[in-house]
Amino acid sequence: MIEDGFLTTRLDAVANWARSNSLMPMPMGLACCAIEMMAFAAPKYDVARFGSETMRFSPRQADLMIVAGWVTYKMSHAIRRVWDQMADPKWCIAMGACASTGGMHRCYGVVQGCDNFLPVDVYVPGCPPRPEALIHALMDIQEKIRNEYSVTKDFESGKARDAIAPVRPRIVTPDGDGIISPSELHDQKARHGHTAIHDKNP
Amino acid sequence: MSSERKSSPTTLSFHFTPVDRAEEQPDTENPHIKETSEVSETITALKERFGDAIEDVTIYAGEFTIRIPRKEIRVVCAFLKDNLGFNYLASLAGIDRFTEKDRYEVFYNLVSMSNNKRLRLVARIDEEDLTIDSICDVYRAADWNERECYDMFGIRFNDHPDLRRIFMPEDFEYYPLRKEFPLLGVPGSLPLPPQTPEAPLTLDPFPAAHGRKPAKSFEEEAPSE
Ligand code: SF4
Repeated sequence: MIEDGFLTTRLDAVANWARSNSLMPMPMGLACCAIEMMAFAAPKYDVARFGSETMRFSPRQADLMIVAGWVTYKMSHAIRRVWDQMADPKWCIAMGACASTGGMHRCYGVVQGCDNFLPVDVYVPGCPPRPEALIHALMDIQEKIRNEYSVTKDFESGKARDAIAPVRPRIVTPDGDGIISPSELHDQKARHGHTAIHDKNP
Repeated sequence: MSSERKSSPTTLSFHFTPVDRAEEQPDTENPHIKETSEVSETITALKERFGDAIEDVTIYAGEFTIRIPRKEIRVVCAFLKDNLGFNYLASLAGIDRFTEKDRYEVFYNLVSMSNNKRLRLVARIDEEDLTIDSICDVYRAADWNERECYDMFGIRFNDHPDLRRIFMPEDFEYYPLRKEFPLLGVPGSLPLPPQTPEAPLTLDPFPAAHGRKPAKSFEEEAPSE
């Protein structure tokens, strides 16, 4: 019946793949860091490569909040409200020293880190961080999304057991035959200074 | 940290640390002295018009500072603007000198566009009567500067058109640039958003350091660890 090639996968893997490559950031640009966030979205650093070029100024359409700049106590209520209006699932990046810890603004008006009222996923150090650092944070969020799974108990074999880790992205070797697992890639590099190529059927 | 919002403000106190005094001698050797700060003609004109009302003229780094009584500020500003060409108010703000007498000071930086001159006026205010006349009707630019000065020091400007706090929340009970105000604020005076949808406002300024984790979304319970 099925003549052409077909693909089976887990629903989570598809959802995670789609989510992680179409993150729409809510640019919460509050201070100087916002300038670097603009560079991150602009053609030179070109975050469109990661599918995140559509900055959404409406919380309803955004799923990644980038808090760029220092947060005052007065503003914190507006930020939490915008965050609550964003649809689930959603993620948050605290960009720069100020958003992460209050930074050099150790004073009465500035919240000492936006994790006091927001669930932050990734903190970016720097004052301001380079756009590359923000891209790295975005890639960390993507990695986090790829590892999310909605199944907590697996009834596949009749008996409830903990679900196995979700399908990770596969990196195919240049000759197209081998498969590199991202975590092993990292380990191998750390140990031997180069990457190993797996056999066809490990 | 009590979860109730305090009904009355905390009484603040400050421990004074003496600092180095500014040099008594005028710094006449400064090579950076600009032609624009040379305003002796203006001072002569002011002394002719107001006489003893000019309390003091100090020169520091080639810049003149003229001290006048606070009652005279509106008249002096109007005279400087109409007769001496100081048509631009660059800035206005307060200083807490932390002295027994005449604790506060308001300074006015004036610029004359036509003569290319700069001048600083200063008026001292005692804690007993924290008021000074507004110069909004002379310089429109003074409006927000005076509101800031009121917000930060609690100095009231008579006849200001709209004297409200400009930066701090309307219900804030302190004046943050006064010397006795602690650097990190008074805990509980500025609330953070609630940690969970049903919870009251967070009065602890450091909930994350005390193990609180804000809820990700309204459906989800805050993780308990
Ligand atoms: S971290 Fe530095 S660049 Fe970023 S908002 Fe703070 S002061 Fe500005």
